[in-house]
Amino acid sequence: MRDIWIVADNSAWADVMVTCAKGIAVDAEITLFKLALPADGLWESHAAPLAEKAKADKPAFILVEGSKRGRDLAAQVAALIDAPLFTDGRNIKAEGNTVTAETLVYGGAAIKTVSTEAPTVLVTIGAKDYEPTAGAAVAEGSVSPAAGPKVTARKPRPAQTVNLGEAAKVVGVGRGFSEEAELSAARDLAAAIGAEVACSRPIAEFFKWMPEECYIGISGQVLKPDLYLAVGISGQAQHVFGVRDAKTIVSVNKDAECPMNQNADYYIVGDWKEVLPALIAAARR
Amino acid sequence: MKKIAVCYKWVLSDADIRVNEKTRELDMEKCKPQISEYDRNAIECGVQIKKAAGGELVGMTAGAAVTASTKDALSRGLDTVSFLEDGVMKDADSTTTSKVLAGMIKQIGDVDVVICSEGSSDEYARQTGPRLAALLGWPSVSYVSKVTVSGDSFELERKMEEGTEVVSVAAPVVISVLPDVGEAPIPGVKDILGAKKKPANAVSLGDIGLSADAAKPLTAVKSVLAPVTSRKNVHLNPDGVSIADAAAALVKQLSADGVL
Repeated sequence: MRDIWIVADNSAWADVMVTCAKGIAVDAEITLFKLALPADGLWESHAAPLAEKAKADKPAFILVEGSKRGRDLAAQVAALIDAPLFTDGRNIKAEGNTVTAETLVYGGAAIKTVSTEAPTVLVTIGAKDYEPTAGAAVAEGSVSPAAGPKVTARKPRPAQTVNLGEAAKVVGVGRGFSEEAELSAARDLAAAIGAEVACSRPIAEFFKWMPEECYIGISGQVLKPDLYLAVGISGQAQHVFGVRDAKTIVSVNKDAECPMNQNADYYIVGDWKEVLPALIAAARR
Repeated sequence: MKKIAVCYKWVLSDADIRVNEKTRELDMEKCKPQISEYDRNAIECGVQIKKAAGGELVGMTAGAAVTASTKDALSRGLDTVSFLEDGVMKDADSTTTSKVLAGMIKQIGDVDVVICSEGSSDEYARQTGPRLAALLGWPSVSYVSKVTVSGDSFELERKMEEGTEVVSVAAPVVISVLPDVGEAPIPGVKDILGAKKKPANAVSLGDIGLSADAAKPLTAVKSVLAPVTSRKNVHLNPDGVSIADAAAALVKQLSADGVL
């Protein structure tokens, strides 16, 4: 087994990737590139120097943190060394010269198993895909960022008002609501059953009726509540992925055939304007 | 700007995917081809850059069967479309796609900025933009939610996990945009009729100096299978059961399940 490189900007993610690396090969020689965020440049400016080093050292794997910056950097390195990259790959196996891994496609509706015989394989790794291994013996690697675009400002995201990740019950709202004021009906239901309110991607991103950290989906919040109650959500695969581990899923939708109903344990076909008051009344009884 | 290139992917809509319950394989028969959802926002971003800074707005796509895509693409505000249709693209991975698109961009020349979306609706690998940048030797700025042009420079707002990052960069550059960069309007009758008069230029692998061997994918797909799900799928108001009764039954059931 040749080397496995780990590229991260923080130890927590690096520890997760150590577990992944040891799963690929117990005797893997791990080199950690802990790359600091340049004060006035892009983190991805490390891509070209990393690629240069990879060309010379030819590691078997380069595991990169599956953050936005990590995915960008990994894709650049992959292109520069003409190597495959599995985005947020799971179940990575190396047997002989063949590497296989699983990635999600169609918004999480399916799992694609892919193989390659390339000498160096890149994989981005999700922060929660493995339990961390702290304090493992790893070699330290380093590269300096290349010159690149200037970062002129960084503004932290405003503090989160709700912690959806901890909520046992979540009511989700979607495009079945035609104006912001109508969301009060969903909030009333949430209040009646002690749930938090979340939404589908367009409600946060296009309509901006709810803060961005409230949208559920493959690119947003991935939740595991006891109860997820989707109201007026058609249930595109990207959205469903974000609640697939919920204990119980309920859907309220006018369209009997919508994918959300197919992905629900219980569903009521009807206008939410009629269903929500009925649910609130039933819950209060 | 001289030329603004926008890359788009012609994908099968995932709304009508059916799963074979026995084999877990996907049945795509009812799925219609369309411009990948987020790519429509990328095209709109190109339209806005053109409005602000002028230039020719060129759509770019490559695939095994993409000729049919050009009219739709042209109805969304593009001036022209370059498309590469080749059987080799049937098994294309991100490596192949980015090499082909980079070749097409070099071939048309004078491109100041390439706009890609964050990722396609089918693979969502989020690789094409950054890979293109690396192959072209240009900076990659990804996850961009706001684009401001002045002269041949861009101020780009990136939406990162921990907040926003403002990036200042000069052309040429590859920008990968999030869908919130601009909602894509639905083309009107005039746009659709106008698209018929706009040029769509077919490009071959030979034209961009890429051999089929050099375009070969580095990965092979072993299987694509839907995960096993076990939802109960109980319809609570079939055959005229009232909403009030269904709501009461639901609350009772959820309480019994211990989740309410």
